[in-house]
Amino acid sequence: MPDLIGFLELTLVKAAPLIFAALAGVVCERSGILNIALEGALAAGAFAAVAASYETGNPYLGAVAGILAGVLVCGTLGVAATRFRVDQIVAGTGLNVLAIGGAAFGIVVMSGTPGVTPEVHAFGARGEAVLVFVALCSAFVLQFALDRTPWGLRVRACGENPQAAISAGLDPRRIRVVATLIAGVLAGLGGIFLSLGELDLYSDGMTAGRGFIALAAVIFGRWTPLGACAAAIAFGALSALQFVLQRAGVPSELMQALPYVVALAALTGIFGKSRAPAADGVPL
Amino acid sequence: MKNVRDAALFAAVLTALAAGAMLLAGANPIAGFAALARGALGGERQVSETLVQTSALLFPSLAVAFAFRAGLFNIGAEGQLIVGGLFAGLAGAAFVAPGWIAIPIVLAAGAIGGGLWGGVAGVLRARFGGNEVIATLMLNVLAVLLANYLIVGPLHSPNVAGPETAELPSSSWLPALLPHTRLTIAFAFALALAGLLRYVFARTVFGFELRAAGEAPQAAARAGIDLRRTALVAMTVSGAIAGFGGATLVPGVLHRFNVELSPGYGFIAIAVALVGGLDPLWIVLAAFAFGILQSGSLTMQALAHVPKDVVSVVEGLAILGLSARRFATRAPDVA
Repeated sequence: MPDLIGFLELTLVKAAPLIFAALAGVVCERSGILNIALEGALAAGAFAAVAASYETGNPYLGAVAGILAGVLVCGTLGVAATRFRVDQIVAGTGLNVLAIGGAAFGIVVMSGTPGVTPEVHAFGARGEAVLVFVALCSAFVLQFALDRTPWGLRVRACGENPQAAISAGLDPRRIRVVATLIAGVLAGLGGIFLSLGELDLYSDGMTAGRGFIALAAVIFGRWTPLGACAAAIAFGALSALQFVLQRAGVPSELMQALPYVVALAALTGIFGKSRAPAADGVPL
Repeated sequence: MKNVRDAALFAAVLTALAAGAMLLAGANPIAGFAALARGALGGERQVSETLVQTSALLFPSLAVAFAFRAGLFNIGAEGQLIVGGLFAGLAGAAFVAPGWIAIPIVLAAGAIGGGLWGGVAGVLRARFGGNEVIATLMLNVLAVLLANYLIVGPLHSPNVAGPETAELPSSSWLPALLPHTRLTIAFAFALALAGLLRYVFARTVFGFELRAAGEAPQAAARAGIDLRRTALVAMTVSGAIAGFGGATLVPGVLHRFNVELSPGYGFIAIAVALVGGLDPLWIVLAAFAFGILQSGSLTMQALAHVPKDVVSVVEGLAILGLSARRFATRAPDVA
């Protein structure tokens, strides 16, 4: 029994950053922006949180910086994709390289040595639990907001048929930028969870592809917040299971590969027809 | 003329930002750029190392450009390159044969590996209408996991301690172009491939079909071009090019396969392909420019105390800045 509780705890800890990132992906894609910069946003959020906590000694100010960094990365994509009509995939790739490279650069500026920052004041176990709770609540709030509020209807209209949204007097560009800003807050929280929740430092490669697993969770969750959250928890359970099964001799790479294999399979539609928003990733 | 001016302005802005980053790191930008230039171009050994980096970048860059010409975003050159290197490493460690037999087998194994990896995304796209961006992102991660699993697990070589394959017999190493350097005939292969692709794009029916599918998919479909087949072929060939590039690093540079094969060549390749405007000849020049950054960055770090990650920052900014250019109409989802 303690084993089971420990497993569930570990599942939620592994799932929380994925939930944040997946929700960020959902809100972007529903508004018509395919955000592949989530990986970079997680890294930027995680690093900025540590850097600010290092400078001020206050993890809450660190959290503020982490959220701002996430907003900066996702917001840049949003503005570039709407005002400058850039290719979202190219811009997202650039932001990933920039954010991850910038964080690596920042580590050296901060501590003089590459690879890993010094340990800073972090949130500890209680803060970690609070962030898990925030992640789960965000999924419900976002589901309600997208399904039941005028704002949600507008976001969905922009993602499905922006021309119709324009005819109805909406400004899809503004709505898309706002969606990326919300995504930035969520991705920033995911980054904070990694650096100040689970640990108390930032190291190169810390995000470890979570921004991409999150995109898989979005597909598997059929572009709904609760679905993506469920998929993120399932992927979290897989990584938690890894620790159990590794002792039983199952190679850890196999467990790590499962979310990605599942996502590829989901692209074939074998889990039932699911469809991306019609204008997902289409420049306006 | 306007293009030249834009390019100069773009380069100037990036240089200024790089200088700013160096100041931020507490270094002298002039010393930083000087060290970068010295590390990349300061002598025969440095230039040859820059050309090694140029060739390593050129293959995935041509791969990205090939898919992009067909309106497909191959963001998975990194994964295809790794699988190509993995196949090459496994084949190379297994075969002991004279070079003229072993080397073609090693390189072909790499092309096959990369082609398979790109082909998966191609099938998903052609058969199921799955987004190739998402597919190749997933395949990138899977490539690293597969390589880690195979070389540490079932195909582990008993005489090797780390996560790598056994060393290739020296008879299988690529012949050097310059003695005592790592510059091999891979560089010549890369240049030849650029020339070949330029010819294919400009002068062949196949190249025309690719460009038609990329630039005007609806019109191409009405004209009888099979968009599904084009997508499948484009992703497979693109993967094979990247895989071949990964394979050249095994008998050419490392003489074995390990997962440190690529410092992200497949991602930098996106910047190279875009800077080169998807034209193979310009891509050669762009790959040389990025090769200078890659090979000079360590010297810059050692001599001028500028963190080498400044290069990543500049590359990221370059990709971001170039995203504003229109290159091709993204093919509409088939499903």
